[in-house]
Order: sequence, then structure tokens, then C-alpha cells
Amino acid sequence: MKKYVLGRVIRAIIAVFVVTAIAIIMIFTMIPRENIFRDDTAQLQKLNGKPDDITIYKNNKWEQLGYLDFVRQAEMCQTESDDYDACMIVNEHTVVNDNGIETKEYTYSEEGEKVIEAYTQKGYKVQYFVYGGFYATKDYSGLEIVFNFFKNLIKIDTPSAVQDPDNPDLERKIYIGTDYNGVPAIMCSGCEHNYLLYFDGNFPFIHQNFISLNFGQSYPTYQNPSTLDVINSSQGSLDNREQTYPNGKTGNSADNFHTCTYKATASLDHMDANKFDDNYANCKSYYTYPSMVSMSYIFGIIALVLAYAIAIPAGVAMARNKGKWPDKIGIVYVNIMIALPSLAFIYFMKVLGFRIGLPDKFPILGFDNIMSYILPVIILALMSTASLMIWIRRYMVDQTNADYVKFARSKGLSQKEIFRKHILKNAIIPIVNGIPSSIILCISGSVITESVFAIPGMGKMLPDSIKAFNNNMVITLTFIFTALSIFSVLIGDLLMTVVDPRIQLDAKGGNE
Amino acid sequence: MEQNRNNILSVKNLEVKFKVRDRVLTAIRNVSLDFEEGKVVAIVGESGSGKSVFTKTFTGMLEINGEVSNGEIWFEGKNLLENKTDEEWMQIRGKKIATVFQDPMTSLNPVRTIGYQISEVIIKHQGKSKAEAKAEAIELMERVGIYNAEQRYDEYPFMYSGGMRQRIVIAIALACHPKILICDEPTTALDVTIQAQIIHLIKDLAKEYGFTTIYITHDLGVVANVADRVAVMYAGQIVEFGEVEEIFYDPRHPYTWGLLSSLPQLGEKGNELFAITGTPPSLFEEIKGDAFAPRSEYAMRIDFEEEPPMFKVTDTHYAKTWLLDPRAPKVEKPKVIQNLHEKMLALTAKGGIYGEH
Repeated sequence: MKKYVLGRVIRAIIAVFVVTAIAIIMIFTMIPRENIFRDDTAQLQKLNGKPDDITIYKNNKWEQLGYLDFVRQAEMCQTESDDYDACMIVNEHTVVNDNGIETKEYTYSEEGEKVIEAYTQKGYKVQYFVYGGFYATKDYSGLEIVFNFFKNLIKIDTPSAVQDPDNPDLERKIYIGTDYNGVPAIMCSGCEHNYLLYFDGNFPFIHQNFISLNFGQSYPTYQNPSTLDVINSSQGSLDNREQTYPNGKTGNSADNFHTCTYKATASLDHMDANKFDDNYANCKSYYTYPSMVSMSYIFGIIALVLAYAIAIPAGVAMARNKGKWPDKIGIVYVNIMIALPSLAFIYFMKVLGFRIGLPDKFPILGFDNIMSYILPVIILALMSTASLMIWIRRYMVDQTNADYVKFARSKGLSQKEIFRKHILKNAIIPIVNGIPSSIILCISGSVITESVFAIPGMGKMLPDSIKAFNNNMVITLTFIFTALSIFSVLIGDLLMTVVDPRIQLDAKGGNE
Repeated sequence: MEQNRNNILSVKNLEVKFKVRDRVLTAIRNVSLDFEEGKVVAIVGESGSGKSVFTKTFTGMLEINGEVSNGEIWFEGKNLLENKTDEEWMQIRGKKIATVFQDPMTSLNPVRTIGYQISEVIIKHQGKSKAEAKAEAIELMERVGIYNAEQRYDEYPFMYSGGMRQRIVIAIALACHPKILICDEPTTALDVTIQAQIIHLIKDLAKEYGFTTIYITHDLGVVANVADRVAVMYAGQIVEFGEVEEIFYDPRHPYTWGLLSSLPQLGEKGNELFAITGTPPSLFEEIKGDAFAPRSEYAMRIDFEEEPPMFKVTDTHYAKTWLLDPRAPKVEKPKVIQNLHEKMLALTAKGGIYGEH
């Protein structure tokens, strides 16, 4: 069993990496890289009329996102030339052409040409700025991009992580301390994070910073924070609360001191000095509303519980009264739900809900009002009842015709006892297999419902990111959804062994 | 048939109909039969002759499209057919009349422990506590020949072999000390050595627990070994009924002759095995005369015109054939079964399933 699970986990990890690698190669090599700037008009308009600045901006972004290696003249001269000053010389000549229009031309020193030659030799493409100066770029191949991505993916925090020339005496150690609430935590000095392991009141209550995943920055939508932060950070306005600062003072602040990371001494200000007596002053803030993932999760889980609460008794009732009225009504319902396009159903329910006073958009009443949640949850739940009902009915009917049911009847058990003690336990086995997937994949949100109700959740994230060419976000989501799907199937299989004694997960099982 | 004071179950003029795709099929046609307490009755006949349907009516377990359209089943002074609800039948099923089905591989719930499935019945029908039921279940398991019953109590059916599962099914059937045990082809799905063990187990248990056994089988070898009485069924009717010796050594109905002649043990090397030609009549149509007449080489004109009555051969032996009418021509039973007694003795002397162990 252990061996089997280990094997499955290894295979799952490989599968996740393969899928992610394919996504990375497709995105980086098949989508024109210019497209990523399409939604970044604000910044590019600012640079309008400054072609060199645009070139620098774009190349910097591409470098940041992992498309290429971008080096400017200064850097080129530093690495390849012995005479930096000579290398940096740009000679400007004014040339008048036949039509009398003046243009400028630039030439470079011998040292400069040498460096250009050296970079061309290294496979770089050297180009010239419009207003003088040169730079070189080198595109990464698909495999290099994948390699770089995975190289940077996992970040392990160690006491030697911080390099701050202004703070040479920084102590470097991991120790067990207490946080500002007096709760024990594993802390670190010299690491990126102040707290490596801590407890708080938020799910899942225990948090770690030893290992973090780095999928790169989100661009061009939700600019600059890392993609994980975008989907994980809470939303809304700052949630100020009375807190005790790490230096012992108290005050009103929205900082979540557990999340503090190292801030370079040079950038510390008097505000920081007010709250902190060390360099761990770069903290995330508490916000009033849950993150996108949490939003989708709240809706998903409530809807899921509701769906099962409706579908299981309904499916059982249909099976028990096969061919009679409850069954017929159920079949009509299932047929309608399956035949009706989900968008039509959502709008129908929306109108119906609006009639009885429920808001037809989430932001109307917002996060704090329970009324905002009712309609989307009911819609989400009802949409998944149809298939659940028909499967439960089908499994129950299958089991009802089994020989052991006949024998149980001949033992003198009542119909009710047979259903409850025998049939249900058998019929639930295939259902159980699907439950972890349903629970875990709630995280991915529901595209249509969230769009229609303007819910700030995860559902729209993937299509929006694809539309906006937010490549890192697409890759992040691909990675997360793939990993969750594969592992939820594994959990589903493990759960099956609990409800079905016949199933034993064994590395030697089957034809292997 | 005469009334007998020791009758535990009396079936009178039973008729069962099934509705199949808007057509009505008569599966049991006016059957009357008495079961004497403590005797083993075997019901034989080919597939579709109504053996199983007949016994299912005793516990009200007909399929949903089936219905008893006429008749009475008397048990402990009560007509069972007056039971309408499941609750009334539950007083009979398992508690008074238990059934062992053909396929032990599927008779048990695959996801419940063996112990649970046995004690469930004990708790239900005897109102015992869980601990008491467990003790009794383990005792029963030992009684039906499960070694290490205590350890195996918590195991699941898939951990048991076919023969052991059938032992468990029998243990469950006996958990409530029923008056009657219906064995619906209990050994058909088992291999020959296990068949013999199960048959002997049922025989021993019948003695010990004092229940009346009704065997449904098409294996005449089993019949010869276990039965006191034999009822031969054909096309929804009992065509011959008698003591086991009478049926084997003095059969009167041409169908019984056919059945006995087709015993594979009687086949001689090099010769083809005997088989009754033709197929049974369709039960959707009304059957005129003797249902077996079209397949019988002894059929007379009257067989196609009028249904024969039950003729009495001896006090215990009855047959439903016009051949027993005084006006009928004298015919001899087929040669192959004329000295069946000697042949059977020769066969059983070799041991095996049909021999005494």
C-alpha cells in the first residue's frame, strides 16, 4: 500500500511537470511575445515618443518573464572589455541627406566594436538604440525556458538567504521563538521570512515559509505581485486592527506580522522603525475580504454540500420508487437540467431570484450580506444535482437487482433495512471516488456563474489570463489545476479502499 | 392427495401469473402439494418448469411482475397468501421459511463483513444484543464447518472460497431456526467435491435443527442422495409425485421416464446420450391436454384433447398421465431405465458425489 501510494505520487508529480512543461513551451514559443503588451497601454503611452525607452521597457519585461537575456552596453562593457570608459564611448555624427534632412548617426570606439563582436560570437543579437548606444539580446530556446522555470520554481528559505551589504552583522540562525501573540513559532534570522512556521486563526491554521513556490510575476494584468499572491491575497480595503507591534508598542495597523520578509536596510524608513526593531518590515496586509481562491471555495463548498444533500436523497428516492411517481418526476427534472443550456438556467434563476428580492449581482450587496450568496450557491448546487441524481439512481437500481439483495430479503429484512444497510453502502462506492475531486476542484471556481454574478473569484481567472496574455498566470493556473486534479483522483482512490474492502491498492496488483 | 396431520405446508390449487410486456404468462398451473414435516422433498424439472417460482410463493418473493392469481398456501394454520404487506411476510421470511440460493458468490453483500451479515439476522429476528448475536454467529460458523470462526468473523466475503460462502449462506439461513429450508439449486455453482460436502452439511443440519428441506434441482443424482419425496414439475404443473424409490424405480409419467433416461451416468461409451426431443410449450398460450404430449412418444389422442387427472399409483405415489387410465394400452418404460436400481447401485458403489460417504 505505502509502496503503491509512493509510486502514484511520483507518477503524479512527473505528470504535473510534463503538463506544465508542455504549457510553458506552447505559451512561450507559439504566442507572439508582442501580445503581452496589448493590455499594458498605460505604461506604453507614458513612453510614447521615446522609442529607446520603449525598447528598454519591453526587453526588461521579456527578460523578467523569461523570454530572453537582455544586456545593455554598460553591462556588456563590464564583462567583455578591459577598458570600460573607452568601450562606453558613443560618437555622434550629423548627416545631411540629399533632401536636406538632418539625421544623426552613431559610431562606437574600437573597444566597443570588440565587445559587440564578442557578444555576437556568444550568440547574442546586437542592436542599436535610435539615439545612440547598443544592447544585445539572446532568446532562450523552449527547453531553456522550461529549465529556468523549474529551476526558479521551488525556493527554499535558509538563514543565508539575505544579502544586505548595509547589515553585515545580521545574525544567521533558525530558532524557536514566540510570535507577537505569544504563540510558539519557528523563526529565523537571515532568512527571507521572519517566521518559518507559525499558527494563526486562518485555515489551515498552520503555515510554513520554508519552501515557497515561485511562478514569477503577474503581467500585464494584476501587475507586479507574484501570480500566487494575486490569487491568494485577500481583497477589499485594508483591515486595520489594534495590534502589538513586534517591537512591543501597540497601535492600529493592517500588517500581518507573520508574513514579514526582510527589507534592505537602505530602504527602511521611520514608519518601519516605529513598529519594528529589526529588518523584517516588509509585511503583507490584512484585507477585509477573502482572496479569489477563498471566494470560489466558499461558493464551491457550500454549493457542493447542498448538491449532495439534495441529490443523494432524491436519487435514493428515485431508485426506491423506480417507475413510480417520484422516479418519473425526478427523470423529468434531470432531463430538463441536462437539456437546458447552463447559461439559460442561470439567467432564469436570476430573474426568479430577483423577483423575490435577491440581488442579481454580487457587488450590489457585497461580501457582508448573506443575500449576495444565496442565488449563486443555489444555482451552482442545482446545476450539479442532475448528474449526481441520475448516477445515484443508476447505482442503486443496479444494486437492487443484485443477488445479495434477494438473499437479504429472504433473510427477512425489511425493504428499508436492505436499502440502508446493504444497497446504499454498495451504491455509494463509485460516488465516494468522485467526492475528493469535487471538493478540491471547487477551487477552480465556476466560470459562468461567477461571470454572470460578477463574483471576484477564481472562475474567470484562467480565461481572463489567456485573453490578456498573462502568461505566468496561465502557467500558474495550469500547474495548480493539474496538480489538484491528479492528487484528488489519488485521494479518491485511497478513499475507495476505505468504503470497499475488496479494493486493495498494491504495487503488484493488476498486470504489472 | 390425502390430508396428512403432519403436513407443515400445504399448497392448494396454486396458480401464478406473470405479466411480461403486456402479455400474461401462466407459470404455475393449478398445483397442489403437501410437505410433510421433517421430510426432504426434491422438486425436479427442466429450466422454466416453474420450480423456483413455486417455492418463491411460500415467502412472498415473486418478482414484481408476478402475482398469485389463485390458490392457498397453508402454514401453521394460516393461509400465507393472505399476507399482503412486507411486514407480514417478514414474520415468515428467514424466521420460519429460509432460502439458500444458487450462487454463493453473489448471495452475500460484498462490502459487509461475514459476521455482520450473520448477526444482523439474529439481532433482527431473535432480538438479541450485538455481543450475544456475535457469540451465536461464531457458533453457527463453526457448526457449518468454518475453521477459526472467531478470526474469520470480521472478514469479507471476497476472502472466502465459493464453498465457504455457501456454508455462510446456510449459516445465515439457519440463524433463526427456520421450520422450512428451501434450497434453490444450492450446489449448481459449486464444483463436485464441494457439492457433496454442502449436500451432506444440509443433511446433517436438517437432522440437528429439525427443519423440513425443500430442494430445487435438476440434478437427479442429488435427488437420489438426499430426497425422501420427489415432485417432478413440467410446464408449471406437478406431473408426478412420490417416494424417491417410487420415482426412480417405478416411474409412471413419460416425462419422468425421459428425465431418468437422460441421466448422463446411464450413457454407454460410444452411444449418444439420451435427450428429450423438442422444447417445453409456451406458457403464454393456454395448454390443451397433456403439456408433455407433443414431446412424448407415448402420446395418445386423448393427450391432445383433455388434461389428465392425478392418478393414484400407491398411497404415496401419484402421476398425471392418461397412461394410468384403465382404458389406456399397456406400455413399458424405456429399456434404459428398466433396471435402474441395479445401475444406480453399481454407480453409487463407486463412491463420488452420489455414494454414501
